Amino acid sequence: MSKHRISLKVNGRLHELEVEANKTLLRLLREDLGLTGTKCACERGDCGLCTVWLDGKPVKSCLVLAVEADGHEITTIEGLARDGKLTPVQQKFVEHGAVQCGFCTPGMIMVAEAFLRENPNPTEEEVKEALGGVLCRCTGYRQIIDAVLDAAKEMRKAST
Amino acid sequence: MIPKFDYHAPTTIDEAVELLNTLEDARVFAGGTDLFVLMRDRLVRPKNLIDLKQISELQQISFDERNGLRIGAAVTFAEILRSEVVKDRFRVLWDAASVLADPVLRNRATIGGNICNASPAADSAPALLVLDAVVEVAGERPREIPIGEFFTGVKRTALKPGEFVRAVRIPTPPPGSKGRYYKWGRTRGEDLAIVGVAIQVNGEKDVRVALSSVYKTPIRIGAVEKIFKEGGPVEEKIKRAVEAVRSNISPITDVRGSKEYRVHMAGVLTERGLRELLEVK
Repeated sequence: MSKHRISLKVNGRLHELEVEANKTLLRLLREDLGLTGTKCACERGDCGLCTVWLDGKPVKSCLVLAVEADGHEITTIEGLARDGKLTPVQQKFVEHGAVQCGFCTPGMIMVAEAFLRENPNPTEEEVKEALGGVLCRCTGYRQIIDAVLDAAKEMRKAST
Repeated sequence: MIPKFDYHAPTTIDEAVELLNTLEDARVFAGGTDLFVLMRDRLVRPKNLIDLKQISELQQISFDERNGLRIGAAVTFAEILRSEVVKDRFRVLWDAASVLADPVLRNRATIGGNICNASPAADSAPALLVLDAVVEVAGERPREIPIGEFFTGVKRTALKPGEFVRAVRIPTPPPGSKGRYYKWGRTRGEDLAIVGVAIQVNGEKDVRVALSSVYKTPIRIGAVEKIFKEGGPVEEKIKRAVEAVRSNISPITDVRGSKEYRVHMAGVLTERGLRELLEVK
């Protein structure tokens, strides 16, 4: 199997690594970089728990090869908080108790954060559509949707 | 785990064609959202994978009135959704992109991959069928395949070994024409279609209907076009079109719905869509 030297930025830090062709970005993050906030579940693109940002856009990292991420910028759940301060979405997940078992939380937050940057004033329908690719096995969607809508409000307040 | 393979990332079409024709047991991919799942399930085990995303031409959408729309094979559905011209002039395709998989997957899934995976449920396929799309094929002898001849069976296409899709070309629909894609699923988000119906209407005489998830391939119903070309009251034509759709499909029963339910809903969606686009109450 072919091996490849890659360099990629993860949460602002540059990494130079050698990866085997079949290593997914998900496994690179978890196994080689120790960033276990990104969860590994279905590994077939159905559940969305492994969502990270590739150049700012959410992707399911179980369906991206590490070698494909060469030269790109990755953001994981560990890269959102700054100086220990949670983002509004993270904060609102805490406040609304939008966490049951917590396994989908990183995926939900990565999708919600990216979505609110593109659509700062969403309807509830739009939030549901945006989160459609991330599954909560506990089915605790109500609190998650409320948290995202509330975070949107908070972010709009902060920007005015 | 994805089984082992060697990875190649050519930067030109010629280089990709050469790799595909010289490497042993090679497959091309763009988004990888279908192929990696098949590989993980050990349904395919290519020795070599050729990543087409480094070829810049394959990432481009272009449009002009005379030549129509050209979408590179590696253009993602997220990019298609961001295209104003697709939304304004090729609405049926925009609709299909907006309901394909989920928003996160659409950042990777590509139009070339969607048609080459050749699922009967491919959402972009019925839209491309009613728009008379042409598939540009790269290979040792480049050629073009009308989309109506592209799908040959479940997960089968007219591509020969050593060929891959370079772009999809769509002629500009006449001014005033309208199209929509109606997808029926178990949930509104992320699921394969129980039935999908694409309709393109250019006046009452040029009406095209194509469907997903109701036949071994995505299917355009030629009988509907004949019905609308003839004279007669539009109410009568819609009724006959619904019958034509129901009698020309042969869906299967699976976890998403029974054969009978699919036949029924194919008619319901066809009628709903025709009434909306023809503005018949």
